[in-house]
Amino acid sequence: MHLQIEQVRKSFGGVTALDGVSFAVEPREFVCLLGPSGCGKTTLLRLIAGLARPDSGRILLGGCDLTRLPARHRGFGIVFQSYSLFPNMTVARNIGYGLKIRGDSSARIKARVDELLEMIRLPHLADRYPWQLSGGQQQRVALARAVAVDPRLLLLDEPLSALDAKVRSELRQEIRDLQRRLGIPTIMVTHDQEEALTLSDRIVCMQHGRIAQIGTPDELYREPANRFVADFMGVSNLIEAEVIGRWAPQLLKSCPTRPDSGQLACIRPEDVVLVPGGTGARVSRVQFLGNVSRIHLEWPGGTLIAEQTGRTEIEEGTEMAIDFGASRCTWVANQ
Amino acid sequence: MTVAVGPEAISGQRRLFDTDRWLLALCFILPVAALVIFFLYPLAVVVIRSITEPDGSLGFANYVRVLDSANFWNATANSLTMTLSTTVLSVGLGLVVAYAVHRCRVPGRTVIQASVALPLLAPSLVQGLGLIFLLGRNGIVARASGIEIEIYGFWGLLLANMLYALPQATLIIGASLRSADARLYEAAEILGTPSWRQFIDITLPNIKFGLLSAAFVVFTVTITDFGNAATIGGDYTVLATEIYNQVVGQMNFNLGAVVGILLLLPTILAFYLERVAAQRQFGVASESAVPLTPVWTPRRDLPMMAAAGAIALMPIVTIGIVIYASFVRLWPYRFDLTLRHYSVTVAGGYDPLWTTVEISLLAGLVGTAALFALGLALQRAPRRLTKPIYFVCLLPAAVPGLVLGLAYIFAFNVPGTPLYALYGTAVLLAVCNVVHYATQGFLTTMTGLRQVPPALEETATCLGGGFARVVLDVIGPFMLPTLVSVFFFLFMRSMVTLSAVIFLVTPTVSVASVSIMRLDEAGFTSQAAAYATCTMAVVVAASALMRISLHLLDRRR
Repeated sequence: MHLQIEQVRKSFGGVTALDGVSFAVEPREFVCLLGPSGCGKTTLLRLIAGLARPDSGRILLGGCDLTRLPARHRGFGIVFQSYSLFPNMTVARNIGYGLKIRGDSSARIKARVDELLEMIRLPHLADRYPWQLSGGQQQRVALARAVAVDPRLLLLDEPLSALDAKVRSELRQEIRDLQRRLGIPTIMVTHDQEEALTLSDRIVCMQHGRIAQIGTPDELYREPANRFVADFMGVSNLIEAEVIGRWAPQLLKSCPTRPDSGQLACIRPEDVVLVPGGTGARVSRVQFLGNVSRIHLEWPGGTLIAEQTGRTEIEEGTEMAIDFGASRCTWVANQ
Repeated sequence: MTVAVGPEAISGQRRLFDTDRWLLALCFILPVAALVIFFLYPLAVVVIRSITEPDGSLGFANYVRVLDSANFWNATANSLTMTLSTTVLSVGLGLVVAYAVHRCRVPGRTVIQASVALPLLAPSLVQGLGLIFLLGRNGIVARASGIEIEIYGFWGLLLANMLYALPQATLIIGASLRSADARLYEAAEILGTPSWRQFIDITLPNIKFGLLSAAFVVFTVTITDFGNAATIGGDYTVLATEIYNQVVGQMNFNLGAVVGILLLLPTILAFYLERVAAQRQFGVASESAVPLTPVWTPRRDLPMMAAAGAIALMPIVTIGIVIYASFVRLWPYRFDLTLRHYSVTVAGGYDPLWTTVEISLLAGLVGTAALFALGLALQRAPRRLTKPIYFVCLLPAAVPGLVLGLAYIFAFNVPGTPLYALYGTAVLLAVCNVVHYATQGFLTTMTGLRQVPPALEETATCLGGGFARVVLDVIGPFMLPTLVSVFFFLFMRSMVTLSAVIFLVTPTVSVASVSIMRLDEAGFTSQAAAYATCTMAVVVAASALMRISLHLLDRRR
């Protein structure tokens, strides 16, 4: 079933949190709402869940208007950052709670709970209480609880943010596998661009209560719509057209509008090719980040960042020539 | 897919949603109606009665009469002197005890804390009784040393009030001392700050509002206290006894109302200032504070231990001697032990004690349920509705018990009105106690509710749980320890309170603390002590039961 958000607006005491947001989620699709804190992504998720009402606009599921329908009748599954397992219930009772509310027979509940425990690979923890579980285990139980009722839509509110790095990447994969297998359309809120890139079919990048760009992870990275998206999705060199015209005029050919329209050239660090032995830029700093090395350069047009895989031989203070491949430059609006 | 989505399904679900709204409305309307009928209405009647003249017309003649009388000004001067002295004394001693317990390494901290808290478990008359057994004309000290001490009057009352206020002062100051951040002291230490400077520059500024808050609480409980003034005040009349004398002694109900209203002014002011101070002290608790663990410093800890120990000894001795005296055959002549004072036959025997237990159970159950329902409703109601109700819920703490009791006579002892049916019943006494102690219960409930993670409720809602389910399955279990505390708080306060109920008892429905007062007034001091001991036994048992249930609940999670 497909979800449509139409011109949704919401403000809190005069502060606009969402300013006319529209997008759609296709059946089986995994969509991330990505943006910095305060961009309205969590508010949007709460409106979709029915935990708050929009001031105007509509939310439709399979063509039916849900806007006025209270959360408890929407049949969605939700997972919060804080795990939010019921502390007074065992793992099994937590998972079965939604089914119990629906009045399913205890035999059916048990069968379903066992199946889900198997799926999250925690069958041995059925009778534990939440406080006896690690963060990652708790979040898997929360996930099982959310999908137990065969939700029509799965909502994830920063489900990985409270976990440490290793558990986070494990669980990230698990969420993706589970979602693929069950085919539940899913919306996840996150402020972590890496998470959004690896999980999503499409990303909704938000800024100041509006959608800055919607697209596949690749589109958002390769062709950011504006300076905000380019900055938010990884590291980029953003250079004014005037500077480009003076120091790398060959790049201007790719500019879709006239160079004086305030567009910025966006060059990803991995696309800045360094030619040792040449001149034109001086290495000011080299940072070793493990899988890549980040090289800061003083260039007549300003500071540039380049990246190379693995450890680099380049030393601070050396002179380099810079080669921009024309095809590797995109132009973004300066906003 | 089990849930069908179509226009018909949605309209059916609308109706379901409405039962939620009805439940919520009920949670709101019932407690608010009770507040109006059992609190605002009686208070309004007191105001009207205070401006009703003997011929029935309205005017300020009562106020003129009261303000013209030397007795009133004498009582006011006494009340203020007494209250201010008690405040200074209790806050000072409370600071010593709290500092010893929370900032020093003193052995037996739990014993010190428990003994300072003892007076909370006893009817307020007990301090007076104990001091009389100790320092009175026939007291242990006078007998042993031959020195005659005049305990009735200012000094006796000051001591009794101090003992009565000390637990609350210690608790509040203790809480503000506990919230300290160890890193501040570590930073000062590294900068080479001497410890007395750390106390002046870090500790005092940090507990400033806690001290103020404690001072205003002590002020309020002291100026409104009646039990101590009645037992040990002697000729030293204060405003509380003045109200009692006007009403019970001279049947001047309207003049009593005037004095009551005038007593309300300082208590409301003190209560308001206390809220402001408490907000400043406890409203901005930093989550990341590193708790302070004091290290053994003999130079500081030994004197503090001696001081705190001495202070803690006072309530133990005062209350202990009441228990002891209740077993002594003929105080102060024959000290062999006997149970004969426990066969109380006058003033209804032990019936009032059992009535008190019933009243207290009822007050605990009804009060906890009402406060819980109200708290749930307030969390979900629009702000313009919640603000005034929040304010009204804070007011009872500022209303002296005697004024509340007087208000209940005016409002409910009116033959021919429907509310008259309640007059003279245990139910009305229970309701009066709930109202009298509603503020503390309300604040505890709201704090508890604020600690329920919203995400838990929202998860249950998204899983399809309605209001009733969310309350039963999510909020209820989470709130159980808080509700247990509120129940026992209301129960224990109802067991020992005197000031509000003194006007409401009848020959058939009376309470334990009134019996103690009557026995004491009639000269049956040993029997009064026996009665007080029985009352305290019930409260101590309740307190133990509370601790056990909280412990079990705590272990369950």
